[in-house]
Amino acid sequence: MRNRSFEKHYYLMLLPGLIWLVLFNIVPMSGIVMAFQDFNPGAGIWKSEWIGLENFEYMFVLSDSKTVLFNTIYIAVLKIIGNLIVPLVFALMLNELRLQIVKRWVQTIVYLPHFLSWVILSGILLDVFAFKGPINSVLGAFGVEPVLFFARADLFPYIIVGSDVWKEFGFNTIIYLAALTSINPALYEAAAIDGATRMKRLWHVTLPGITTTIVLLAVLSLGNVLNAGFDQIFNLYNPLVYSSGDIIDTWVYRAGLLNLQFSLATAMGLLKSVVSFILIVVSYMLASKFANYRIF
Amino acid sequence: MVREQSFGSRLFDILLLVVLIVIALVCIMPIWYTLAVSLSDKSAAAAGIVRLWPVGFNFNSYQTIMTDSKFFNSFGISLQRVLLGSVFNFIVTVLMAYPLSKSVKDFRLRNVFMWLLVFCMLFNGGLIPWYMVIKNYGLMDSIWSLVLAGGVQVFHVILVVNFFRNLPKELEEAALVDGAGPWYMLVRLFVPLAVPVLATITLFSIVYHWNEFFHGLVLMSSAEKYPLQTYIQQLVVVIDTTSMTEDEYKKLSELSNQTLNAAKIFIAMIPVLVIYPFLQRFFIHGITLGSVKE
Amino acid sequence: MKATKNGLLLLLAVLLIALTACTSTNQPSNGGSTNEGLGAAAGNDEPTAAAETADPFGKYESPVTINVGQANDPTDNSLPQGDTPENNQYTRHIKEQLNIDTKIIWRTATGKDYDQKVNLSIASDDLPDLVIVNDAQLRQMVKAGQVEDLTETFEKYASPAIKGIIEKTEGRALDAVTFDGKMMALPNVTARGDAVHTMWIRKDWLDKLGLEVPKTVEDLEKVAKAFAQGDPDGNGQPDTIGIAGQQAGGKLYANFLASSNNTFGLDPIFSAFNAYPGFWLEGEDGKPVYGSIQPQVREALAKLRDMYASGAIDRELSIRKDAAEPVVSGKAGIFFGPFWMGYWPLPDAIKNDPKANWQSYALPLDKNGEFSPHMATPSTQFLAVRKGYEHPEAALKLMNLLVRDEAKFDVSVTLNHYPVRIVYAPVDEIEYSLNALKEVLAGTKTAADLDIPGYKLLADDASKVGKAKLEPFDNNDIQYWNTDDIGTWSRMYSIFVGGAPLLEPRNEVYSLVYSQTKTMESRWANLEKLETETFLKIIMGAAPIETFDKFVEDWKKQGGDKVTQEVEEEVKG
Repeated sequence: MRNRSFEKHYYLMLLPGLIWLVLFNIVPMSGIVMAFQDFNPGAGIWKSEWIGLENFEYMFVLSDSKTVLFNTIYIAVLKIIGNLIVPLVFALMLNELRLQIVKRWVQTIVYLPHFLSWVILSGILLDVFAFKGPINSVLGAFGVEPVLFFARADLFPYIIVGSDVWKEFGFNTIIYLAALTSINPALYEAAAIDGATRMKRLWHVTLPGITTTIVLLAVLSLGNVLNAGFDQIFNLYNPLVYSSGDIIDTWVYRAGLLNLQFSLATAMGLLKSVVSFILIVVSYMLASKFANYRIF
Repeated sequence: MVREQSFGSRLFDILLLVVLIVIALVCIMPIWYTLAVSLSDKSAAAAGIVRLWPVGFNFNSYQTIMTDSKFFNSFGISLQRVLLGSVFNFIVTVLMAYPLSKSVKDFRLRNVFMWLLVFCMLFNGGLIPWYMVIKNYGLMDSIWSLVLAGGVQVFHVILVVNFFRNLPKELEEAALVDGAGPWYMLVRLFVPLAVPVLATITLFSIVYHWNEFFHGLVLMSSAEKYPLQTYIQQLVVVIDTTSMTEDEYKKLSELSNQTLNAAKIFIAMIPVLVIYPFLQRFFIHGITLGSVKE
Repeated sequence: MKATKNGLLLLLAVLLIALTACTSTNQPSNGGSTNEGLGAAAGNDEPTAAAETADPFGKYESPVTINVGQANDPTDNSLPQGDTPENNQYTRHIKEQLNIDTKIIWRTATGKDYDQKVNLSIASDDLPDLVIVNDAQLRQMVKAGQVEDLTETFEKYASPAIKGIIEKTEGRALDAVTFDGKMMALPNVTARGDAVHTMWIRKDWLDKLGLEVPKTVEDLEKVAKAFAQGDPDGNGQPDTIGIAGQQAGGKLYANFLASSNNTFGLDPIFSAFNAYPGFWLEGEDGKPVYGSIQPQVREALAKLRDMYASGAIDRELSIRKDAAEPVVSGKAGIFFGPFWMGYWPLPDAIKNDPKANWQSYALPLDKNGEFSPHMATPSTQFLAVRKGYEHPEAALKLMNLLVRDEAKFDVSVTLNHYPVRIVYAPVDEIEYSLNALKEVLAGTKTAADLDIPGYKLLADDASKVGKAKLEPFDNNDIQYWNTDDIGTWSRMYSIFVGGAPLLEPRNEVYSLVYSQTKTMESRWANLEKLETETFLKIIMGAAPIETFDKFVEDWKKQGGDKVTQEVEEEVKG
C-alpha cells in the first residue's frame, strides 16, 4: 500500500494521547478490583478481603432495588431522548432564522443555564414551582387549583427531565450547529433551483447532512443510560417523591453517609460502565451490520 | 442563502422569531434572578422576597468581592488552568484524531486503538485509585494536576475523528499526489478544514476547565490554590445544621449571605460569556469548505 | 492479526510496569511526616520509656511536628495581617508552651468538603498525624486499623479539666470512642443546649391576636391556625404560616445518628406525645426498642396529619427551598430549634422587621404536664491519631492546653485556627452563662469574677452584655434590646432568650445508643428511607394513618428486628 510508510507517523501522533490514557486512565483502573472486595483502606487494594459479587448482590436484595433501578433508567432514558431531540430541533430552528443578530443573541442566551450549578438552579426551581410561585399563578389564572409540585411523585420525573433538558439544550446545540456548517451551501442552491420548499430542503438537505452527527451522539449518549443526574435530584428530591425519584446514585450516597461505602460505590460505577459499554458495542454492531455504517 | 418571499414562509419566519425569543427569555431568567439577588439587600435575599428586580438595591457585594484577594487569586489560577488545559487538549486530541480517522487499510491497528479509547471513556477505577495515582506521580498541589487530570476528553477525539472522516476524500488524494506527508496533511489540510469542530471542542474544554471544581477540591491542599469554581463551590452551601458544631453555627449568618454568593457566581460567569460570542461565529457562519466548494 | 496481538502485548507490558511502579511507591509514603526520626531518637519524651508520671502540659525538649488537616471557613478573614494558618496566636502559643510545630498538609472549608477530604485520606490511607473525624469515619478507621489506641495515653496525659468534662457526660462521651474496651479517639463534648429543641414563637403576633403562649399541643394547633388565618402581619392577605417546617433535604426530627441542632424539625411536637422517633429507647420489658415503631409515634403522626390538613403546619413542609425563608421574611409565627437561633436566622428576621418579637419556650408539654425533650450525644467529633504516629500524647497535650488557655486568646480570631481543635464545653455552659450574666446585669458580679476555666467566652460576654440588653433587664422582648452591634446581640439574645427554656425543669430522654451496629451498615439506609417516606406521606395526607401499621411490620421484617437485637447486645455489653 502506498500509505504504509505513513503508519509509523500515525503511531507517533497517537503516542502523547496513549501515554496520557495509560497514566491517568488505565493505571487507576486497577481500582476496579475494589468492586469485588470489602475494601479496607488499612490493607490497601491488594490485600483487602475478596468477597466476589457481594457488593452487587447487596443492591439487589433491597426491598425497593427494583424501584430505584427503574427510576434511574426511566429518568436517564427520558433525558437521553430529550437531550438529543430538543437541541436538534432548536439547532434547526436557529438555522432557519434569518435575522443574524437575533440568532446570535438567542444562541448566546440559551447556553447560559448550562453554567449554573444545580445547587443554585434547584433553589430557583423550587421557587418557580412553589405553592405561591409563578407557575401556580399562571395555572390559577386558568382556574386550576395550586399544585404542590415537589410533593407529587407522579410529576417528579418529568420536572427532573424537563429542567435538565432546559438547562442543557443550549449547550448541546453547539455540536449540531458545528455540524450544520459543514453542509455544502451549493446543495441548498441546487435544491432551491429544483423548486424545493423550505420544509423539503430541511428534510432532504439539512437533516441528511447531519445524520452522522445525530447517530454518533445518540450512540455515545447510550453511555448515560444509568446516569440520571445525582446533583440535580439530590438538590430537588424529598421523601415524598422517593417512589419515583430515588435513583441509584442518591441511594448509594445515603448509604455512604452512614457508612463509608468505598466498595459499593466502585461496584455501582463498574455496573454502569459495563452496561454502557455493552449498549454501545451492540449499537455499533447493529449499525455496521444492517446499515453497513461505522459510527466511529 | 436562498431567499423565499412567499406569505407562508414569512409567517413561518415571524413565528420562529417569536418562539425563539420566548425560549431565550425563559433561559435568561435564572441569570437575571441571580443578578437581581446579587444587587439586593442581604436580609431581603434571605427572606426570599427578591424576584426579578433587586430589593434594597446596592453594590455592597461587588465592593466586598473587589477587596477579596482570595477571589482574584482563584480567578487567576482558573485562567491559567483554562489556557494550559485547552491547549493541551487541543494538541493531543487533534494528534489522536487524525490517525484514527484513517481506514483500517491505511492504519491497521486503527480499530484496536479506537475501541481502547471507547473503553477508556466508559471505564474508570473510581475516585480513590485515581487520587492515589496522581499523588504518586507527585502532581498534588500543582497546576499541572488540574491541567492533566481531565486533560484529554475521549468524546472530543471521537467528534473530531468523525469530522475528519467526513471531509471529502479528493482533497487528501490531491495532496498525496503533490507528495504531502502525514504531518503536512494534518496541519495544513485537515486542521483548517475542521475549524467548526475544533472550535467546538476548544469551547467545551474551556468550559470544562473553567467549571470543574471537584479536582481542585481533592488535588489542592488549600484555598489559596483553588481554581475559582472550587472556591465558589465552598460558598454555595446547602445548610444542614444537624452536623454543625458551635463555631459553625456562629458563622452561619455569614455563610448564608446569598447576595454575596450570587455576585460571585455572576462574576465567575463573565469569562465564558466573553469567550463564547467570539467562538460562536464558527458555528453560525458556515465555513466554506475551501477548495471543494469554490 | 499478528500486529494487533503485538500491540496489545506491548500495551499490557506498559500497564504492568506502571502498576508495579505505582504500588511500590505506595508503601513508604505511608510513613508520612518529617522530623519524626529526630523526635524518636531523642528518647527523653517517649511516654513508654519514662516510668515517672507523665506531665499533661510537658514541653518537648526537641521540637515535635504535627501534620494536620484543617477545616477553615472560606469566608474567614479573622487572622490579623501577617498571620497565617500555620503561624498565628494559637500555633505560636503551642510552640512556646509545648514545643510543637504545626504543619498543615491540607485545608478545606468546614462541613461537606472537609468530610470528603477526610474520606479520601482514609480511603487512600494517607492520613495526617492528627485528624478530626465523625462517627462513621471513626468506625471505618478503627475497622481498617488506622488509628492509635489512646487508652493508656489518655490515662496518663489527659488533664484533670478534660477528664472532668468527659466524666460529666456520664460515660456517653467515652462510649462513643470505645471499641472492644479500647479508647480509639478523643471525643469532643458539646454543651447540652444544642440538644434541646424548644418552641420559638412570635410574641407580637400572639399579642396582636389576643392569644396566650400555647402550653399543649391542642393550644399549639389553635394558635398555629390563628397565625395562618388571622392575618397576624396585617397585610390583608392570607399569606402567613403557622408552624414552619423543614426544607427539602431537612429532617422531620433528629435521630440517634444526628441527634442535635435539628432546626425547623417538629421534634417538640413528637416529644409532647412522648414519642421519640429515630431514638433507641428502653421498652416496658427493659429491652431496647426503636422509637419510630412505638404507638406514641402513631398518635403524634395522626395529630400532625390533622394539623397539616387544617393549615396549622406549613403546606410546603419538606419541599421548601429554605426553611429559614418564611421566618426571615416575617411570614411564619412558630418554629422549633435549639437555643442559638439568635445567631441564625433571627438577625436577618429582625432586620426585615425590627418588631418581630421571637421568644423561646420549653413547650409544648406532654400529658403529664412535663417538657420531655430528647437529648443528644455530647460527642459528635473525634480527634484520632494516625496509627504509628510517635507522639500520640501530643493530641492530648494540645487539648489540655486549649482547655486551660482558651479564654486567654484574642476572641476575634476564630478558634478554628487552633490545630485539630475539638470543642470541650461544660455541659451546662449556656445555663451557667445565663445565670452569671443576669448577675452581671444586676451588678452583683463583674467580668473579673467570671474568668472560670471552661466557660471560655463568659468574661468577654460579661463586658459586652450591657451594650446589648436594655432595661428593664427582666423583660426580654425585642424592644428592650440594642441591635446596633448585631454580633453581640446574636450571642446575648441566644443566651437570654434561647437559653431561658433551658432553665425550666425538663424530663430528659436519651437514646440508648448513638452509633451504628453491624447490621445497620448494610440495612439502615433502607430502613431510614422506609421511615422518612412513610411518615412524611402520612403527615401530608398522601397516605392514610393506617400505613403506619404496615410500616412497623415492614420495618421489623426488613432487618429492624435484627438491628434491635444488636442494639440489645450493645447495651448489655
